[in-house]
Amino acid sequence: MNNFFLELTIALLFGIGTFLILRRDMMKVIIGFGIISHSINLYIVGGGVFNGANTTVPILEEGQVVNQGLIFNDNLTAGVLGPIASNPFNGFVDPLVQALVLTAIVIGLATTAFILTLCYRINEEYGTIDVQELRRLRE
Amino acid sequence: MSFLMDNLPIFLIAIPLAMAPITILTKGNPKLQKIIDIIVGFGLLCLSVLLITTVWKHGVIAYDVGEFGKYGIVIVADLLSAGMVLLNCLIGFLGLIYSYDYIEDKFLNQTYHSIYNLMLAGINGIFLTGDIFNMFVFFEIMLLSSAALIVSNENSKVTKTSDKMEATMKYMVLNMLGSNAMLIAVTSLYASIGSLNMADITLKIRVLAEAGAVPWHLYAVGLLFIIIYGGKAAIFPLHYWLPDVHPTAPSPISAMLSGVIIKIGAYGILRVLFMIFAPFQAVYAPIILVMALITIGLGATSAIGQSDVKRMLAYSSVSQIGYVFLGFGMAAMANVAGETTGAALILAASMVYLINHALAKSMLFFTSGGIIHTAETRDMRKMGGMISKAPLMSAAFLVGAMSIGGVPPMGGFISKFMLFDAGLREQFYLPIAIALIFAVFTLFYMFRGWMLIFWGERDAQYGEYSHHKLSPLIVFPILFLAVIVLIVGLYPEPVVEISQTIANQIIDPQPYIDAVLVRVIR
Repeated sequence: MNNFFLELTIALLFGIGTFLILRRDMMKVIIGFGIISHSINLYIVGGGVFNGANTTVPILEEGQVVNQGLIFNDNLTAGVLGPIASNPFNGFVDPLVQALVLTAIVIGLATTAFILTLCYRINEEYGTIDVQELRRLRE
Repeated sequence: MSFLMDNLPIFLIAIPLAMAPITILTKGNPKLQKIIDIIVGFGLLCLSVLLITTVWKHGVIAYDVGEFGKYGIVIVADLLSAGMVLLNCLIGFLGLIYSYDYIEDKFLNQTYHSIYNLMLAGINGIFLTGDIFNMFVFFEIMLLSSAALIVSNENSKVTKTSDKMEATMKYMVLNMLGSNAMLIAVTSLYASIGSLNMADITLKIRVLAEAGAVPWHLYAVGLLFIIIYGGKAAIFPLHYWLPDVHPTAPSPISAMLSGVIIKIGAYGILRVLFMIFAPFQAVYAPIILVMALITIGLGATSAIGQSDVKRMLAYSSVSQIGYVFLGFGMAAMANVAGETTGAALILAASMVYLINHALAKSMLFFTSGGIIHTAETRDMRKMGGMISKAPLMSAAFLVGAMSIGGVPPMGGFISKFMLFDAGLREQFYLPIAIALIFAVFTLFYMFRGWMLIFWGERDAQYGEYSHHKLSPLIVFPILFLAVIVLIVGLYPEPVVEISQTIANQIIDPQPYIDAVLVRVIR
């Protein structure tokens, strides 16, 4: 049931973001992108939450890999293609997705900063940030 | 020397990345900055040649960043990646030389070098990385730096800054949409497969497909990847940003955009269609084939009506990338039908096409910069009779037009001939017929452009041509690329042989997978 609310939040945020992207006002488009990227960030974090027996998570089990110091080699001859956990893991969340989401947040910050600056300069040049006005002014 | 050889792939990403802050620090001394940057650009070109010869001799190189094997980030250089990196470093180096006299000094001496190096690093990273999330990160580096370069000003004030900003806005919005889609796709892939390494994902999806247990949403994930890379390559429903962005960018950046950056999409589709989602080829191949045919037609017909020289070239890029994708679609369909050798032939032909288009189109964009410099307008109707004013430009434009149109002594002829020949061998009569009709269109609009610019007389109301002589820094890249286009047309065997090997590696990605997964880690 927990996951239901998580999914609902993601879907709602994505919907709001899509609605804003389709507006004529450039500022609203940018805000829409911010909201969509946050819904995707939630989606990434949600991908690391698992319960149930049939989950494939990158947590290594003993005996599945050949350990050489720090390095894990897959044993292709034994048919082990990777760390597919067979036991149900309930007490963990996937640590990798949190690294991914941090990267995604930072990248989102950079792109938003750039596009906001661009929008400000467009406002200086044209005196409007309405997309249809812009098209009219260009022709 | 062995240190260099051991760490060769990472240098191609790390050196331009390191150059970004170094060129910022030397901002006070523009001359030093230019010299450093040109030396490093040449060094990168040498390194990329070294990389492709090493890969050619010793097979796929896999390099760990960190010591976590396939769980960390892996940098993989197979022949496809190495070839694309060579293309990027070559055109990037020539573009750098070109921009010294073309870009406005105010911008050139500020942050141009640093952003340019970031773009080179991003593109090299996209081609070399073996990790799908890492590819997303490099996509963003490439996107932001190329967007910043598009708004930079040239010396000739032909394109208004406001136009550039508007085009960049379009570019940013559509590509941010693509990046968001890529995040969704990567996360969905990771959540269902449990790996981010491309070779690892390939193996696991293959095992799942053999067991008949592929989750249905993986088909949708593959479609998302096609949308993302199709958007980068400007395939039919996603091509609307390109004809605005490529003409407004300064000419060296247009050359990079048309020569290399739209090829990123083609590279990604190759990885997705023939490696990661190879078991689903039967579903995706017809989609790509149909989209490619529509792209060819739309680009060619739109290019005919253009009066702006760079806009015509941009629409021509749309049409030409359609031919490359037509090859991918036909190869995938032949591969599904079990005709592996035929598929490899078609794929080799589209690789030759890709290389030739990159060389010829970046040369044409460089030339268009020279033309704009002389005519001080982008409108072809306001030009005419330039052949006596700029004979060199006219010769270079003719070489490019002949290559894009597919006239015999140039590289473009070889690629079109190979593509149509290989397609006909696999009985793709209808797609080849459509492609052939639009090849005639291509010939028409390229020569229409050439005649409008160079033949006839200039109307007196548009004034005299500029008496500035073109500087050698602008002429050298154009001549260099024109000579390469001619050489590829007259002696195509090396390019064809490399493309053949690349095609065989793409059809059977086992060496790539083995190099990443089964190896002794240093």
